[in-house]
Amino acid sequence: MKATAAPLDATLTVDASRRADGLATAGPRGRKPLTWKKRSTPWVYMAPAMFVLLLMTVAPAIFIFYSAFRNDKILGGVGKFVGLDNFITAVTNASVQHAFLITFGFVAVAVILEMILGFALALPLAAQTRANKVGAALMLLPFAVTPAVAAMVFKQLLNPNYGWLGYYLGVFGFPKGVDLLGDPTSAWIVLVILDMWQWTPFIALILMAGLQSLPGEPREAAMVDGATPWQMFRHITFPAMVPFIAIAAVLRTIQAFKTFDSFKILTGGGPGESTEIINLGIFRVGLQSFNVGLACALGVVFLIILSLLIPFMLRIIGRRADPEEM
Amino acid sequence: MIRSLDRVKRSRIVAGLGAALTVTLLATACTGGSSAPSAAAAKPAELRMLYTTDEANSAAVASLVPQFKEKFGIDLKIDNQPYDALQQKVFSEFASSSSYYDIVVVDTPWAPALVQNLEPLSQYLENGALNPDGPQSNVGDFIPKVFYDTAVYNVDSPIKRYPDPTAKPDASAIKNAGFDVYGMPVQSNVAVMAYRSDLFNDPAQKANFKAKYGKDLTVPKTWDDYAQVAEFFTQPDKKLYGTTVMAGVGDWATDDFKTLLASQGGDGTLADQNGKPTFDTPEGVQALDYYAKLAQSGHVPPGSTSADWGTTAESFGSGLTAMTINYHDLKLGDNVKGGTIGYAPVPIAKAAGPHFGTWMLSVNKNSKNKEWAYQAVSWLTAAEQQTTMTAKSLHPSRTSVFASIKSDNPLAPFYHTLGKSLAEGVGRARLTNYTELSHEVAVAVNKAATGASSPSDALKSASDKVSALLKSAGY
Repeated sequence: MKATAAPLDATLTVDASRRADGLATAGPRGRKPLTWKKRSTPWVYMAPAMFVLLLMTVAPAIFIFYSAFRNDKILGGVGKFVGLDNFITAVTNASVQHAFLITFGFVAVAVILEMILGFALALPLAAQTRANKVGAALMLLPFAVTPAVAAMVFKQLLNPNYGWLGYYLGVFGFPKGVDLLGDPTSAWIVLVILDMWQWTPFIALILMAGLQSLPGEPREAAMVDGATPWQMFRHITFPAMVPFIAIAAVLRTIQAFKTFDSFKILTGGGPGESTEIINLGIFRVGLQSFNVGLACALGVVFLIILSLLIPFMLRIIGRRADPEEM
Repeated sequence: MIRSLDRVKRSRIVAGLGAALTVTLLATACTGGSSAPSAAAAKPAELRMLYTTDEANSAAVASLVPQFKEKFGIDLKIDNQPYDALQQKVFSEFASSSSYYDIVVVDTPWAPALVQNLEPLSQYLENGALNPDGPQSNVGDFIPKVFYDTAVYNVDSPIKRYPDPTAKPDASAIKNAGFDVYGMPVQSNVAVMAYRSDLFNDPAQKANFKAKYGKDLTVPKTWDDYAQVAEFFTQPDKKLYGTTVMAGVGDWATDDFKTLLASQGGDGTLADQNGKPTFDTPEGVQALDYYAKLAQSGHVPPGSTSADWGTTAESFGSGLTAMTINYHDLKLGDNVKGGTIGYAPVPIAKAAGPHFGTWMLSVNKNSKNKEWAYQAVSWLTAAEQQTTMTAKSLHPSRTSVFASIKSDNPLAPFYHTLGKSLAEGVGRARLTNYTELSHEVAVAVNKAATGASSPSDALKSASDKVSALLKSAGY
């Protein structure tokens, strides 16, 4: 890699210096350097989209940061700058701390389980047979279902009086009428299972695509050398898959932090406050009580934590993804 | 030269912007203020109303649209939104000072925060030309407690309540007391008890009850009787339970607790007019203790500690329970052969105080058609229209409408109970952040119901949290 990188760098340096000197005669491969007008054309085409993007993302972000330092009322009245008050409330309130803690716990458990199960599903499905193609298509169904609808269906299935789950548990000798959502532990298990049902196929499909793109030669060589299936998985397949695992883990982690519907519909944060993840809290504070300053502060704290977490995760997994560090 | 030209252009732009701003502000002042209403206001082609869905019987109001067009020659366009979306829509409409909707439906817990954005109606009520169907749109006909709890506010201090909530409503008296009218009650919800009258009238059940408890089986009037009857009917092997509780985390759990607290003689509003919580009291502990015991008794269906008002209606409707407490009339499913429903006020301990809360139709302060919007609100909530809407199960808010319901009306027993209960109802504390209070109380109720916390500990914890929330909100 390093041997090819050097000439490329050199070419770029030469190009840059030529432009700086005004020697816009010909490029290294005989192409004429672009004029300013031509260089700016793509920017002109992109400008409307970038403007919309700025308007839709950067402007609200700035407003959220601004509001987080104020106690403005949504329906008028005089708001004022309150410094770090909202942030102090956000980080010192015991309920908020609990909400952050369980959010991270949920994401960690759900993502780890989904990664393991997703990999386990991807391995057999990677072989391009007709049955596997049907299997892969079926796997699309759970994450094609709207999360709110999935949660509503789960709620009906879990109904201790009429739900299928209670009925079949009874058939197999388990106690009848168990209210799984009425106990913190079982409510958490249900929430994680729903998340796994919905999102494991997403992981499996990413990893399946990764497995299908791996070169076959190293495995063939290992087979010739008499490697066992476990040795091939441990020393060839898994290391080659690490970049795909990293992508799947990061995407799913980001997505898992945004989970809302299933908690809102299945438990509403209960029993007690045991499943009140931070997104439910922000919804309640911001969109039901309209305490905009505190909701924005909660959002900013959440954003900061995530901003620190994702690069950290990428560094850990990314280092593993570098073949020279394996 | 270029700089000076720029300066000239810039000053012109600034002047132009200033003029535009002035015009906009003046226009806003003209449309957003509370100038005297006139019967001669230009008639719009259309009035827009933001309304809810099933929570306030949208079908009933929608059924009047053709008659409205016939009466006023104006199209009434109704936008319906489910509860959460409606709340966000209502608040965002007012936050942006939008004039799009002329009429907005307001639920009681939102009113203290919204009142400054609602058009005060006393000046309209006192304008004879705007009230062809009766002086002051017959506000004296509204059930006093409902009217004062729903629509009468002091805009400078929304936490305050009208001093005499039993007085016959009168716009002038309300104004003289420093209050005003901010809407017309349209759908009055109150906790009522529904019971399976076929079971209560069954001779075999009556005999069994007498043999077991030594007294007649009657519809319970006290909470002790209620628990006993619930125990009697509970037969899990036959998929029958005595009653329901709505102990899932949500406003419904708070409402259940409110009713019990008021019936124990406590302050069912949950906070006083000084912004102090009033539920961590001996009456509160008694109320929650009773509720927790009922929830854990096995006499309510499994899943009651995560149930809401929809779940309990479903449980009763499917024949799973013999009694329930809810806010509307109920129906039994086809599977409940021979089942009939009776209604009665919720039981009491020391006093009556069922939880109530009413939706009102209010005029948007920013509307450009306020006179016509007022007339529409007045017409939609008039006795004649409310009577018509009872065919679609609307919950009336006028005394005369309840009195006019005849015994051959299939919902007569429900309406009789509804009217009686509304006259005794207890509303919510008037706080701009009532939702937060309600959440903390609901968590406490749920914790006590699941046995995760003792009633006294749960209430103490909730009261501390509510005190902090109220303090941070400026109370």
